[in-house]
Amino acid sequence: MPFRWSSLSLNRRLALLAIVLGAVAVFAGDPYGGTSTRVSAKELAVIVGSEVDHVSSGELADWIIQGRVDFRLLDLRNEEAFREYHIPQAELVPMEGLLDHGLQRNEKIVLYSDGGIHSAQAWFLLKAKGYNGVYILRGGLEEWKDAVLFPRLAPNATPQEAAQFERKAQVAKFFGGSVQTGNAPEATAQKVEMPKLAAPAPSAAVPSAGGTKKKKEGC
Amino acid sequence: MSAPFYKFGYFNDEFSLVLALVIGIGFGFFLERAGFGSGRKLAAQFYFTDMTVLKVMFTAILTAMLGIYYLSVVGFMELSLVFLNPTYLVPQIVGGLVLGVGFVIGGYCPGTSCVSAATGKIDGMVFLAGILAGIFVFGELFPLLEGFYNSTPMGQITLPKLLGVPYGVIVLAVVLMAVGAFVAAEWGEKKMAARKGV
Repeated sequence: MPFRWSSLSLNRRLALLAIVLGAVAVFAGDPYGGTSTRVSAKELAVIVGSEVDHVSSGELADWIIQGRVDFRLLDLRNEEAFREYHIPQAELVPMEGLLDHGLQRNEKIVLYSDGGIHSAQAWFLLKAKGYNGVYILRGGLEEWKDAVLFPRLAPNATPQEAAQFERKAQVAKFFGGSVQTGNAPEATAQKVEMPKLAAPAPSAAVPSAGGTKKKKEGC
Repeated sequence: MSAPFYKFGYFNDEFSLVLALVIGIGFGFFLERAGFGSGRKLAAQFYFTDMTVLKVMFTAILTAMLGIYYLSVVGFMELSLVFLNPTYLVPQIVGGLVLGVGFVIGGYCPGTSCVSAATGKIDGMVFLAGILAGIFVFGELFPLLEGFYNSTPMGQITLPKLLGVPYGVIVLAVVLMAVGAFVAAEWGEKKMAARKGV
């Protein structure tokens, strides 16, 4: 009996189509486009451009206060600096040991260094190695100090700003920092005492900014 | 424009929730249309009297696999950005057995119990309450189970990586397996129907 497409039921046609597509797939190549360590330049450019890979110091402070454990905070500075002060929950990871630190490719990883250069470099390294959820603490430890530990209220602040500052002051207190007064540039240069490392347990009653949404993948 | 759209930042968290709602409703609708709102129909799969579950599931797997494969090959989709469940071999085998036993006894899997409850079936609602109770108990016992839960981790492995076989060959193998299963299912259903008739 000669083969006739029109005589086949829809189910059989679909099954046949699947077999043809499957057979073509054998020769069509790798869907990952070669090696799995390939860097997608476009993807990286999109991420960098849209700044979705940044975590602000305020956000990070909220996460720690909320006691969130769905991220790993990595300190990329040296051991001495780490011992002197580090953000609560941070793990000391020198750049050389980054890839041997037992990180998972689907973990949320937040990187910080003094400024932002080392974390940016580490970010590229991890992204190139296929780690998906890598984030940089915006402004590094410098901004953490300025925005979280020692926030400053400008003397000419509006009442609204002053009201928001109240929360910042509470957050600063939580992390063992303090509020700075005045806006003189010399004041920034003044030596501020870094908080002692015995940080309070993340359960203190600090109002959190509208509970950050947690995104979970998979089914 | 390439997929996955969310990962490339074409829309934000809020819009992704709207999309999730739309896709979820679509998913539930088609499960219901396939007859999966009925525990009898689902349980019949395990007695080989009605192979609809196998056929629907394998059809969905084939469609998704061929779609994802070809979209990635032509460069519309960045497959490395698609979430892949990591494998924890032993806990997942045990979890699969627990789910299977629950499926045979209760007549539903988690998704279909939602469909059933939404269509007003009491057994579906009871099943759903059982799921919630189970989640609660699991959560409370998690510190005891955590070691086992994280045991035998194999990372985000796939069959091509595990077997060292090209992706396309696995695609063809899964297609042939599915089509073979369809043929066997139709044949088996006729046999069972004939036996019932006697």
